[in-house]
Amino acid sequence: MSDIRLEGVTKRYGTFAAADQVDLSVTQGEFVTILGPSGSGKTTLLSLIAGLNRPTSGRIFIGGRDVTNATAQERNIGLVFQSYALFPHMTVLENVLFPLGVRKIGGAEADRLARDALKLVRLDGLEARRPSQLSGGQQQRVALARAVVFKPDILLLDEPLGALDRKLREELQVELKQLQRTLGVTTLLVTHDQEEALSLSDRIMVLDKGRTQQVAAPAEAYLKPANRFVAEFLGIANFVDLPDGRNGVVRPERVRFTAEGQGRPARVVEAIYLGQMVRYHLALDGNQSVVAAVPFLGTAHAPGERVSVSWESADVWPVT
Amino acid sequence: MSREAIGGSAWTRRGLAAMGIFGLVFLTVPLVIVIPMSFSSARALTFPPPSLSLRWYETFFGDPRWMEAMWTSTFVAAISSVAALILGGLAAYGLRRGTFKGRDWAEGNFMAPLIVPTIIVAIALYLALAKVGLLGSLLGLVVAHTLLNVPLVMMVLGVAIREFDQRIEQVAWSLGASWGYTMRKVVLPNLAPSVFAAWIFAFIGSFDEVIVTSFIAGKYETVPKKMFNELVLEVNPTITAVATLLIAFTVLALAAVAFVLGRAGKLKETVV
Ligand SMILES: Nc1ncnc2c1ncn2[C@@H]1O[C@H](COP(=O)(O)OP(=O)(O)OP(=O)(O)O)[C@@H](O)[C@H]1O
Ligand SMILES: [Mg+2]
Repeated sequence: MSDIRLEGVTKRYGTFAAADQVDLSVTQGEFVTILGPSGSGKTTLLSLIAGLNRPTSGRIFIGGRDVTNATAQERNIGLVFQSYALFPHMTVLENVLFPLGVRKIGGAEADRLARDALKLVRLDGLEARRPSQLSGGQQQRVALARAVVFKPDILLLDEPLGALDRKLREELQVELKQLQRTLGVTTLLVTHDQEEALSLSDRIMVLDKGRTQQVAAPAEAYLKPANRFVAEFLGIANFVDLPDGRNGVVRPERVRFTAEGQGRPARVVEAIYLGQMVRYHLALDGNQSVVAAVPFLGTAHAPGERVSVSWESADVWPVT
Repeated sequence: MSREAIGGSAWTRRGLAAMGIFGLVFLTVPLVIVIPMSFSSARALTFPPPSLSLRWYETFFGDPRWMEAMWTSTFVAAISSVAALILGGLAAYGLRRGTFKGRDWAEGNFMAPLIVPTIIVAIALYLALAKVGLLGSLLGLVVAHTLLNVPLVMMVLGVAIREFDQRIEQVAWSLGASWGYTMRKVVLPNLAPSVFAAWIFAFIGSFDEVIVTSFIAGKYETVPKKMFNELVLEVNPTITAVATLLIAFTVLALAAVAFVLGRAGKLKETVV
């Protein structure tokens, strides 16, 4: 187990910078998520850390060791891709034994380690199957077992749950988090799913156009976004004017309905029922629109209805 | 392909079908004629054969010059197909996986023997082999056949490599496996059917080659070169027996390729 440190890491393709002066420090055992839209450079960053690619400039440290010019083989990293990337011609057990074989661990010792890893991802009993005989979720569990069986220094996951349906994804998120806690392995996860980022990570790093936008704990990034991009990318942002002329962001669940005459008058444009919550798209007087999310308690306002809303000034976070 | 894509009218479709059938007949009639003729008892090439016999096969197998040509062809095909497989395989891998400058140029260079008219390749090889003193040598023949078959190998293996997810290799590296180990334990086992197909194509390609061989082989006779020469000298039914043997060999080899690729579920993706 080790920490990861990136110092001014840049990767250029021609004049285009896929990663631009990225700094990041991940402490030992921490779970950090790289979050950003498609093409923001997430995979690029991960492949630089994994050693599948060399940075144009900057340095990469794993466990205090400068690995900038080390090969992928020398880095002792567990890697998981969205496409599973299992060895199609090997059984589940052979897939998990592969990194042990490379490390000259064989016989009963290797067998025990591999079976333990498979038990950890709840796949015991499927050792003899081939990847093509497994469901997507099971294949991804094999990939996880293969990535941790040799006790890697760090674990890198590139959208590991991206190909799974929603329910399975949520299930595996919980398992992934538990696995990471059990092993205590330093983990870097890439995703463009903000819910996944917020629910799994100790900290998140928001990336856009190859540049770091913010590195913070999920709650902090959500409530105190560093800029407009982060505010809009993490959930729904209501931008409101502040008395000092600046802009501020209010989250929908901070918007409250008030008795008539106490808040700002508004008209309900759309009411979207989400199960536990109802999300209202409201038009304030003066052409401004606001989204409010309130718990669903049996009744809801209908579109067209006149309402009043307000929010605490403490819930408004100034952004540039 | 949808019907609209071929052409709207029924007449167009019927015309195309007729052309297709004509083409098929045109290609198969020579085979249909040559095979019974090889079993003929007649001294001259006559169709249909008056009665059946194996005399032309006996002549073929009993003639030391035919056997010598057979041995030369087999030897050259065996060595050059393996050489083409290794060189073409490495080139295809480098071109599919690499991101270096001038990649398209390099690919064009490798594929050139397939596109440039064979007669021009033959003249070029004649001049080049003469320059290095390999004209009319067995080694020169092997070199030429290797060169001619590299593009075939590259085409077959290029498709297979492109379809093999590069991330599988990357994961193997990250798990600590060297490039060579990954090649042997991960890539080759998965590409084995295509490697077999490429090798068979290269072998047949070499065994069938006549134009370049006629230019550069000198005193060496290969089977197709000898067939051609025999035809020019006198019409001898022995060549119908040789032709039948070549057809049988090619059909069996291609059937083996189809079987192996089909079992790997790759039949539809590789253009045979
Ligand atoms: N080999 C390459 N050559 C040129 N440009 C590249 C190359 N690899 C990536 N890029 C560019 O770098 C940018 C970042 O790509 P990257 O794959 O890191 O994005 P990503 O954040 O992982 O996106 P996604 O969520 O779609 O996976 C993209 O604009 C991409 O086109
Ligand atoms: Mg990506």
